[in-house]
Amino acid sequence: MSELALLEIDGTVATLSLNRPDKRNALSLELLDALHEKTGLLAQMPEVHCCRVVGTGNSFCAGMDLKAALDTPGAPGRLLSSIAELTIKFRNLPQVTVARVQGAAIGGGCGLVAVCDIAVTHRSCKMGYPEVDLGVCPAVVAPWLVRSIGAGRARRVLLSGGVMDGAEAYRLGLVAHLTEDGALDGAVDEIVGRLGDAGGVALRETKRLLNDLDGEDIAARVREGAVISAEVVDGPEARARLAEVYG
Amino acid sequence: MIRVEVHDSIARIVLDRPAKRNALTPEMLDALTAAVRAQDADASVRCLLLCADGPTFCAGFDLKAAAGDTDILRAQLESLSAAVRTLRRFRTPVVCAAQGGAIAGGCALLGSADLVVADRKAKIGYPVVAIGLSPAVSAPTLEMTIEDSLTRARLLDPGLITGERAHEKGLVTHLVDHPDDVLACAQELAEMLAGKPPHAVARTKAWLNTLDRTNDDEPFARALGVSLATVGTDENRSKLASLWGDKG
Repeated sequence: MSELALLEIDGTVATLSLNRPDKRNALSLELLDALHEKTGLLAQMPEVHCCRVVGTGNSFCAGMDLKAALDTPGAPGRLLSSIAELTIKFRNLPQVTVARVQGAAIGGGCGLVAVCDIAVTHRSCKMGYPEVDLGVCPAVVAPWLVRSIGAGRARRVLLSGGVMDGAEAYRLGLVAHLTEDGALDGAVDEIVGRLGDAGGVALRETKRLLNDLDGEDIAARVREGAVISAEVVDGPEARARLAEVYG
Repeated sequence: MIRVEVHDSIARIVLDRPAKRNALTPEMLDALTAAVRAQDADASVRCLLLCADGPTFCAGFDLKAAAGDTDILRAQLESLSAAVRTLRRFRTPVVCAAQGGAIAGGCALLGSADLVVADRKAKIGYPVVAIGLSPAVSAPTLEMTIEDSLTRARLLDPGLITGERAHEKGLVTHLVDHPDDVLACAQELAEMLAGKPPHAVARTKAWLNTLDRTNDDEPFARALGVSLATVGTDENRSKLASLWGDKG
């Protein structure tokens, strides 16, 4: 079986891939473990300036793999806690993270997008946080999304659920760059090229300052979010709704 | 002056004083707060729709009523602050349908909603510094909702912006072309929200309220204090007098 997460280094530019294309890179515990491991390695590479974050195949990431977790007691909680810790680890990477968002970034997948420094998508991409539609609470992503697009917009997006297209995500500020369909890779290459050539220390110190401005308690809020989210997933409303969705 | 209509788990709270462009009196604001509280206590309500009769959502405080009596102005501010907090803390999502204009106190109500529908040309802003009054009472919800630069521009400059501009900056979340279409759009959003799993939605809203300190009274009380301190000053009295002086 091929590795669930891949890390490639090319000079000052890294590429971290979610590599579970047959499941649209849905975040299972195993995939999350692999991402934790690769992120840990990347954190020890100060010579690398930036990291492309990509999903193999047609979709960036379909979200949490709840289906597999629902039958095992405690598994949703472990999954949520792992996602929460991964977002914190991602945020604290010394490298500038650039999400290449193609096809779809849903739920937890879109949470990864919110925590990256720069996100790029294409016009017809499907993005969003449909958690409430499934009876689930997007509490882990909420602190990141509030920070990323502001509390007012985060309120509207998280309470309304559903998905939006790339153009709407760009208008909301969830992604920094929007391309036409088919032009995504070129745009991402251009951005990581600029970052790769820029001053590594300047990038790292600037990111460190911006992370300080996230506030001291953001990691605590994200962890608290994982607990809230796990409680909601375990409740009767979510169980009934998810059973309906997953048949 | 406040009407409540509940249909299919959506509670409509209607500002019902169209002849006065729904200008707010202390009694009207207290009735609004009481109505919101009553709906909050009803577990079958899944969405609150705040709307108004007539061409204008709300022109702000009824200044004519307050012209000779600054106690009324104080009561308006206190009642407004209570209404804003109560709306903001509502258990389920609040949708505001703001056709035509949401001015001063009316804009404070708009700022307390989760989703806001307005028409492209709606007039939006807080022009009360023109009468020597501080709109600080609206600062906490604005700071929670939009970027600081827009908050500063709106609270310090008595000029108004259009619904279109407010939409660009996120104060209005859904824009329609014509004032007549605002309520239908808001009703559609309310139905969409009311159709979602209620526990997940309420839990998400409670978490967002925790994250932005909505449940913390201190910022609201402090902001109210700043507004109250400007009531009855010489400049406030003279500007109010000149506003109404030639009309007796």
